[in-house]
Order: sequence, then C-alpha cells, then structure tokens
Amino acid sequence: MEATPAPPVPLEQEAHMPRPGAAGLLRQGLRRIATSYTFRVIVQGALTLWAVTTFTFVMIRQMPGNPVDIKIDQLMQTRGMTYEEARNMAAGLFEFDPNAPILEQYLDYMGKLIQGDMGQSISSAGTPVIDQILRYLPWTLFSVGSGLLISFTLGVFIGMAMAYWRGSAFDNIMTAFASIVYGIPDFVIALLILLVAGVQLQLFRVGSVLGGVDNDIQAGFNLAYIGSLIKHAALPVLTYVLASVGGWILTMKSSTISTLGEDYITVARARGLSEGRILTAYVGRNAMLPLVTRLAISIGFVVGGSVIIETIFLYPGLGRHLFLAIGSRDYTTMQGVFLVIAFTVVASNILADLLFGLLDPRVRVGGQQS
Amino acid sequence: MKRFVHLLLVLALAVTALSTFSTGPARAQEGPTGTWFGTWPYILPPEHHLNAFSEGGLNTNLGVVYKSFVLLPPAFMMWATNEYEPLLASEWGFEEDGSAYFLTLNADATWSDGTPVTSDDVLATYAIGRILDWAQYDYIADVEKVDDKTVRFVFSGEPSMLAERLILKEYVAPAATYGELAARAVEVYESGVAMDDESWTTLRSEIEAFRPEELLASGPYIYTLDDVGDSYMTLRWQPNSLFSDQVKFGELRLWAGETEATAPLVLSGDLAHSTNVYPPSTQEAFTNAGIRMVDLPRGYGPAVLFNFDVYPWNVKEVRQAAALVIERSENAFLTNGFGATPTIYMAGLPDEMVPVWLPEDVIDQLDHYDFDPDRAAALLEGAGFSKNDDGIWADADGVTLSGEFKFAAEFADFSGMAQNATDQMNEFGFDITARAVPWQESAEDIRNGEFDISVWSWSSASPFPSRMFFAPIQRFNYVGLPEGQNGMNFPMEFEWNGEMINLDEMINNTSAGLDIEQQKQLAGEVALIINQLMPFIPTNTLLSVEPLNEALISGTPSDDDPILQNPSGSGDHFIIYYILTGVLGPV
Repeated sequence: MEATPAPPVPLEQEAHMPRPGAAGLLRQGLRRIATSYTFRVIVQGALTLWAVTTFTFVMIRQMPGNPVDIKIDQLMQTRGMTYEEARNMAAGLFEFDPNAPILEQYLDYMGKLIQGDMGQSISSAGTPVIDQILRYLPWTLFSVGSGLLISFTLGVFIGMAMAYWRGSAFDNIMTAFASIVYGIPDFVIALLILLVAGVQLQLFRVGSVLGGVDNDIQAGFNLAYIGSLIKHAALPVLTYVLASVGGWILTMKSSTISTLGEDYITVARARGLSEGRILTAYVGRNAMLPLVTRLAISIGFVVGGSVIIETIFLYPGLGRHLFLAIGSRDYTTMQGVFLVIAFTVVASNILADLLFGLLDPRVRVGGQQS
Repeated sequence: MKRFVHLLLVLALAVTALSTFSTGPARAQEGPTGTWFGTWPYILPPEHHLNAFSEGGLNTNLGVVYKSFVLLPPAFMMWATNEYEPLLASEWGFEEDGSAYFLTLNADATWSDGTPVTSDDVLATYAIGRILDWAQYDYIADVEKVDDKTVRFVFSGEPSMLAERLILKEYVAPAATYGELAARAVEVYESGVAMDDESWTTLRSEIEAFRPEELLASGPYIYTLDDVGDSYMTLRWQPNSLFSDQVKFGELRLWAGETEATAPLVLSGDLAHSTNVYPPSTQEAFTNAGIRMVDLPRGYGPAVLFNFDVYPWNVKEVRQAAALVIERSENAFLTNGFGATPTIYMAGLPDEMVPVWLPEDVIDQLDHYDFDPDRAAALLEGAGFSKNDDGIWADADGVTLSGEFKFAAEFADFSGMAQNATDQMNEFGFDITARAVPWQESAEDIRNGEFDISVWSWSSASPFPSRMFFAPIQRFNYVGLPEGQNGMNFPMEFEWNGEMINLDEMINNTSAGLDIEQQKQLAGEVALIINQLMPFIPTNTLLSVEPLNEALISGTPSDDDPILQNPSGSGDHFIIYYILTGVLGPV
C-alpha cells in the first residue's frame, strides 16, 4: 500500500542540475512528507478524530438533560427538595454552566484538547479525565483484549477444522453451538453464568469473583496479585469469549470452505504436500484474510469495553465508567472515553491495512504496480 | 514443546493455589467482630474522595443510609411517633420566644482522633453550608455559639418545624478538617458581597475541589481510600465514637452496583440487606431462597399528570372520569407487583399520613374515586360529552378525549403504571397513545409543558404536609419552576367556596409555625381541594421491598415494629438506628 517512490534522477542529469539551497531542500523535504503514504494516513486519522470529537461533542449535548438538571431531578426526588433548593445545591456541586453557548464550550474544549488537556470530570470536579481513563483503561484492555484474543484464536482453529472435516459430527455440533451462542446477547450470558453456575450450581461464590481484584491483596508483581487478577477476569473473559467466538467460528468456516475450492489447493495436493502444510500455509493463511479487517475493528472497540458486562461483574473497566458517566451526563468524561475509542479504531484500521498487505502478497504487489 | 506445556501447567496451578489461599483478612482489629453485608452504588477512586460537602464525596459514596455511620447527625426520627431520638446531640428545642432553636451536643461525643465534637464543628459546618446556599438558610439568619457544646440557630422569620428537621438531620463535619475553608466562608459572608460575587463563587469552587487526605469520624465506623475496592468498600470500626461500644459489627461491607449487580449477591447469600428496587420475579426468587423481605414505605408513588394548557385535560369532569376508570389495584400491581399499594383517599397525602394530618370530618368528605365507569360516564355526559361512532368520548364539537401519555422508558414502575392506565382509559372510551421517552426527556417535557398526560411522582418521603403536597402540584407547576417553564400550568389562584384562594401559599403554610392543630386544619382544606379538583391522579404509593437475610444478621425487627414505618430513603432508615444501637448484629 506504500506509495511508489519517484524514479531516481539519472546521475548524468543530476550533475547538471543546480544544487538546491536550504529553502529548496526544505521544500523538497516537505513535499516528500506531504506526498508520503504515512503522512496521508496520519492526516486522515487526525481529521477523522477531529470529526468524531466534534460530532460526539454536539451529539451528547443533544441528549435530554444536562449534568445539572439530572442532579436537580435526583435531589428533588430523593431528598424532597424544592426546585430552588435543588438548583442551589446543584449549582454548588458543579462548575459546569449548562447555559453557556455551545460554540464557547466547544472552543474551550478543543483549545484544551490541542494542548493535551482532556479537562476535568463535570460530576467529580477536580478529577482530570485523563486520570480516569488511565485508571480504568488497563482493566478493559486486559479483560476484553484477552477475551478477543482467545475467541479469535479459538474461532480460527475451530472454524478451519470444521471446514476441513465438513459434514462430520464435530462440524454439526460446533455449527449448532456457534449459532446458538452467537445469538445470545452477552449480558444474558453473563447473568446465566452468575445465576446458574454461581447461585444455582454453586460452582463458585458470587461475591468472590466480582470486581477486578481481591480487596485485601496488595497490588504488585507477585503471584498472589496476578492470580487474583486472573480469577476476577475469568468470568468477564469467558463471557466475551462465549459471546463472540460463534461469529469467528462461522466466518472462518465459510472462508475456509471457499478457500478449499481454490485451484492452488488442488495444485498443492497434486504436488504431494502434506495435509498439515496445506492447512497452515495455504488454507489457513488465505482463509484468515476476511477476518483480519474484522479483528482490527474489534481491537478498536476493545477500549470501549462492554458496558453491561463490566457493570454486571462490577469490573472496574472503562465500559462501567462510561455507563456511569452517561447516566450522570458527565460530558467531559464521555468525550474523553469516546476520543480514546475513536483513536483506537482509527489506529487499528491503519494497522489492518498494513497487516492485510503482509498476509496477502497480492495486495503488496498490487499496491506497488499501481 | 512438552516441557513448555508442563511448565505452563505448573505455573497455572501455582497461581490458582496462591489466589485461593491468599484472600484472608489483611488487618486484625479490636472491637466487635462480624460483618454487615449491605450495598451502596459508590464510585471508585480517583472520583471517589472524602469531602463531606461535594459531589463524589461522602454524600455520593455513602448516601443517606451509610453516611450516618461515619458522620453522626444530631438525631434520628421515629416516624410512627414523630419523635426524635438522640444521636450526636443530647438536647434540642425551640427557645421560648420562638426566635431561635438550640442544639446541645452530647458531652461525650468525640471524633475518631479522640478530640471532642464541639460547637466549633457545628459553626464550621454551617459556615460552609451558607456558601453552598443550604436550605437551612431559608429559615435561619445566623448560627451562634453559646458554649463549647451548645449552639443556637437564629430564625430569620417564623420558627419552623421544617427548619428543625433540617437542623437535626444535618451531618456535623469536623472543624479540624474544614476549619480553614469555614473561616474564609465567614470572611466572605461578613464582607457583605452577593452570592454571585467572584470571592463567593471562587470559595464555592474551592470547597468543591477540596480533597481531605483522611476522614475524622464521629460515628463508629471510618474508612480510607484503601478500603474502597472495585466490588465492595469497607467501613471499619473505630473506638472513639459515642456508639462504638454499642455496635456489634466489626465492619460494614458495602457492595457496589445497582440492581443488576446486587441481585445475584442477594441470592448467593453475600448480601444481608439492600435498598435496590427489584422486579417482582426477583423478589419471588429471594423469597423462595428463604430470604425475608421487609416492606418499607417510600413516601411517594406515580401519578397521572395533566397539562392544563391542553384541552380537554383542563376540564375537571374529564380528570375525575379518568380517576374513576382506572382500577387502582390492578394498576398498582402492574406498577411494582406487591411493592405498590393502591391509593385509597386520593387526597395528595400518602394514605398512612391521612389519619395523622387530616381532621376526621375532612377524611369523611374525601371522594375515594372507587372504580366506577357508570359514574364516569354520567360525569362526562353532564359536561356535554358523548360517545361517537367509534366508541370514543367527544364533546359537542366532535373533539375527542384524545392525547399522548408520555412516560419514562427506563423506570419500570412509571412505565407499568402508564401503560396500564392507558389501557384502562382506552377501554372506557378515551383515545390515548402511550409513548416511552428517555427519563431525562420525560422530566424536561413536563417542566416545559410539552405533554398531554404524563407520569411522575406524587408526594415525598417527608413528615411534613407541605413537602407531601409539594409534588407534583408545586414541583411541576409554574409556581415551583424557573421563569419560562410552566409545567402542568394548573392555576394556583382561583375562587373556592366563594372566595379567592392561593393554593401555593396554603400548601406552604401547612408547615409554617409550630401550631400543629392549625397546620392540620389547613392541610385538610388543601386535601379537599386536591380531592375535588383532581389536578393529578395519585394512583398508588410505592413500597421499598428490601431483602433482609436472617441467615447473616440477627435482631431483625418484626413486621409490626413501628420503626418499619420510617421511609426507606429518608435518612431515617431503620438500619441506621438499629446498627448504631446494637439491635442488629451478626448471627
């Protein structure tokens, strides 16, 4: 996909060319940068991020209610305050002025963002949004990332095996399994795990698996802490795996079946290559291509976590935090999380482009020829 | 390869074994043992902090139930008798001439560091409260120190029992923590500047952003940010409180999350008590699992709200007819199963408060609006309506009784009530379309008057009639909303029994002064007006159906214990008093 470089100037011509001055060199350098593929990608990415940031900035302010109104309603409902009392109290709780012109708010936000400042949480004044993101992001990356990696790997191998032994009992059972789990919403799977395996069958104590880590274990690079992390992440990860593995399996199976019918597979067999070699080097690699883009997009959404799953398992990830921020209309926190998600999606799409070229030589060759 | 797999297996086993055996309690502590297993939807650090005055601090993370275990309020109210029991204070009352209210702190009250709780703490608390424009300052002009343990609250106008409650339920914060901010608050106030002056708003922001590094507790429990875990936080016993010798739990464990997270915990026996709202099927599952459910009043319930700017909802007979064709038992069940009770008196006060606040002769005059479609039909016919060919009621010009019933989609109780009321009204011959909207939009639409019919709460968890009458007739009406918002737009000044009245003033006066009999008389008049004009239909009141796992706690109250008349969300929840006084303990 890399842009074809300009052909080199023949040496004899170069000798007669006037030597560029410093300004000329700078211009040349800038032109080279401006026309380079990487630069274009970065500019496109930056524009996408700006568009997403602006869009989410406007859209979340179109949601009914603002942080102050929501707090006023809560105070009136729960403490029986009059509107005036609740408004006065809410005004003391928030530094946010909901009546400020939206353009003013936008310019203020973008001005700070350009300087790397995501602002402070509205509903928890004094807490920088970046601190919130850094607090919750690693948990989501760990749990959703592990879940994605496991389900993708399982999906690829199982899907390939099903296609290879098409029509077998294994294929039929796994097709049914994949179709069923793919059709069940993830939060239902989470509740079933807790209520059936935890409460009904008592395979584990519900209270001991909630949260991100045991309260009484000191954080550090030691086996107890790592073991606790794994124990608490196990059920959220299992939920992500069950909820997504069906999709990977079915896609991989279908992709493998179409690859198995290709001429080059027949040729490989005719050449007497072993089945293992055919399966890994010829079938698997080509059948995986359609899954790569999907994987890249999924990686992008890893940081968004799974809002409901993290809420059910009390897992301290970005999804649970986003859920609370949406409920309280914490605009700055929501914007910060959406920005991180957008950034990751853009970055992972770029990665997908590059990865696609690596996996499929035709793409590389095609790119160079063009 | 084999060796690598073996190594992985060994590592996995070691990690699992370590995680299994390393989760014991980290700290040993003196005092009582045993754990209370409750729940509160606290937030996590870094948003979680220890400021007693700002969002994200103690109010957010402990709520009205658990904050009392850390910062004691002066007193606890028994709703069945309208009497206060002492907590941080030992004496209180109105001064004889009614110009002030005095409050004497318990002589033995100390903070967790062993220093005494004094008048200076109260003064610091109220100095900051003035900058934050607390509701107490609607009634009081000043707070004065009488001696080390006594303060007097000087009224700005008439003495008020509402003010008394606000004073007795306010948590006293330590001057040792907030003294510096309080001193600046006094300076700013005494400089005479207005509330929108920069010095005032700056100080307000500083109060909000203040982050104490540690707590000082007057209650028997305390915590640090290290005690705040992802799934639960722990309030630990401390020895220096008035109630430290009485409590029987060594720690209070508060599980995080709302209904979806706590329901499995109740079922698995990890949670002894919860104030979350559970759907009827979940309540049934709890009961089947042998968990006792206690019913506490919430003090409010859903009401049908009418927009008086929209015809025909501003016609009295139409509203009365609607009240007569909604069978309220069915409606209550579909609102919240057994956690809702149909309204009997239809007087704007919860039924249990009617005998307390209304004179007998008024109670006898109240129209109960028992389900009666024939009476509803007669009322409409008397007002010039008749059924058209489609079976819909219409006026002489053919305008049908049509409209949209907006309800908050997220609130299962509101949506259940609204959809059932719509069905029942349509069965009678109304032409109503139910429409779900996000709850924030629903509230905003009511405030802006952008609705025909809607649903929101009536009454509130308050022992005073003015606060009970407040919702929705003041809360969602032009008298209680900022300029430009009319809400229901029900006219509050009109002719009644031959003279002009101001219903807004009448409602406010039902809690003015100290003359209870006069208040009851006025409450009776207001109740009759609401009952006859039916500006909203109070279909039912909600109960808080709370699981109480007796396998984990002892000393639970019997169903006829008067303390169970205390509302769930009022700051007078029974567990506050029963844990502090050692009635509740571990099994």
